[in-house]
Amino acid sequence: MAVIRTEKLGKTYRGGTVALRGLDFEVHAGEVFGFLGPNGAGKSTTIRLLLNFIRPSGGAAYLFGKPVTCAQTRKELGYLPESVQLHSYYSGRRLLEFYAGLIGFERADCSRRAAELLERLGLREAAERRISQYSKGMLQRLGMAQALINDPELLILDEPTSNLDPVARRDFRDILLDLKARGKTVFVCSHILSEVESVCDRVAILQQGELKRVGTLEELSGARGARIVVGRLPAEVIEALSATDARLTLKGRESTIVCDSQSLLEHVRQVLDDLGVDVKRVEPQMQSLEEIFFGAIDRERTA
Amino acid sequence: MNPTLLVAVDSIRALLHRRLLVALMLALLGLTAVFSVTVTKVKKSILEASELAAGMNDGELSEAEQEQARQGIDQAGSFFLAGFYWFSAFGGTVVALFICCTAVASDLRRGTIHMILAKPVTRSQFLLGKYCGAIAVLFGYSLLAGIALVIFTQVNDLELNLAAQYAPWLMFCQSLMVGSVAMLLSLLLHPLLAAVVAFFASAGFFSSPNPLYFVLPSYDQFNVFGLIMNGRLIALEDILTLTIYAFDVAAIFLLLALWRFRSRELI
Repeated sequence: MAVIRTEKLGKTYRGGTVALRGLDFEVHAGEVFGFLGPNGAGKSTTIRLLLNFIRPSGGAAYLFGKPVTCAQTRKELGYLPESVQLHSYYSGRRLLEFYAGLIGFERADCSRRAAELLERLGLREAAERRISQYSKGMLQRLGMAQALINDPELLILDEPTSNLDPVARRDFRDILLDLKARGKTVFVCSHILSEVESVCDRVAILQQGELKRVGTLEELSGARGARIVVGRLPAEVIEALSATDARLTLKGRESTIVCDSQSLLEHVRQVLDDLGVDVKRVEPQMQSLEEIFFGAIDRERTA
Repeated sequence: MNPTLLVAVDSIRALLHRRLLVALMLALLGLTAVFSVTVTKVKKSILEASELAAGMNDGELSEAEQEQARQGIDQAGSFFLAGFYWFSAFGGTVVALFICCTAVASDLRRGTIHMILAKPVTRSQFLLGKYCGAIAVLFGYSLLAGIALVIFTQVNDLELNLAAQYAPWLMFCQSLMVGSVAMLLSLLLHPLLAAVVAFFASAGFFSSPNPLYFVLPSYDQFNVFGLIMNGRLIALEDILTLTIYAFDVAAIFLLLALWRFRSRELI
């Protein structure tokens, strides 16, 4: 089932700024979905539309199969904005109890859940302290705690680690991996590509309101080619390969042939077959997410 | 607990955090003190004037002169009682404008509205909660103003006439209406401009042929300044009618505010 689904979702702000142009994508249950794009790509607009903070100019968005205007869809949702703004006059514990109450928890459950999350996010010592006295990192962790207060089926995170130090960043990644292991759906916007690469099952790349690419990392880097590992090559094979664009590296008893495209890979395999060379293994050449990202976006348009 | 109630309690907490209620109490205390000192001085000067007149007439006040002095003191007392009410009612209006115009805007500015509306809370529940929180604070203010009015009359040995007894309730009813108008306007205009427009959005500023006379709420009947000053009574039926009118007007403007808020972009 698609936990998030958009159909031709479009948004034009007052003044004529087009933020989204006919966005179509789905996020499936249990997957961690990375939503990438340069500044102004429309990522925040998409999140605002999904949370019903703004109204679409065209198309529609659905959460759990229901229109986003239905408040009950948010019962199973957790949201952490990029800049966490919390009610500064509460203590950490009271704030979590307040949010738990909004979701409909009984008073005793509110206290229990708040205590659990404060412990899990390393805020137990600061539980009774006023939020106005929290550091940026603590605020971000408390923000994460409020997003997890209802143990949501869908978590929407907007740049969740932008204000965090490396240790806290790793803790956040561990939380995401834990959620993933528990079959929760996570929709994460991030500029930190390595972070997305390490946790996401699928990514979408957005530029100027248009969806450029969407798929798994394997799908997005599929046409890159491969590395063929063979044994020691006779002179006639080396000669035949030198006539192609493949890059040959001879090292001891092993030789490596790098093919940068799918067509070259097929041609080289044909040559090796014809000359009776045994192929030890073929290693697909995976592009990093950074390479996929920069390959997808048009840098001139972004500039 | 119901989300509307939670939002209402939260908005009261936010106002407490801003020391608003403490400021209101101090303002009313200050008003009581200033008016008490002034009334005492005025009473003293009336008595001194009477004694001066008596000194010129063989040192004794005639019965007519005593009566005249008593009437003078009573009139001054009624005037100051009405003045005290006018200031506290004006304060109530300003507080209603301030709270209701900033109710949504302050949450929007801080970004906390997004955290609340990302939970299963409808926009209607949110706005109703904000209005209920504001009304609770305004009720508290009216109650404080009523207590201050009683203290003022007791300290200065003044008569608390029926108009003055019901004045705090009418003040609260007026706050209900002003608050709902201010809340609607704050969703359409900048909060400061909304407060100014809401202050002048009264049928009292227009006359019969003007369509605004029929659309805007009328606050004239709620202003019992004149009644208190003249020591006249208000019929209980009138108070009931004014209460129903105030609740009707507040409900209409609140419904309009809910309708507007439902389609408002929250950025």
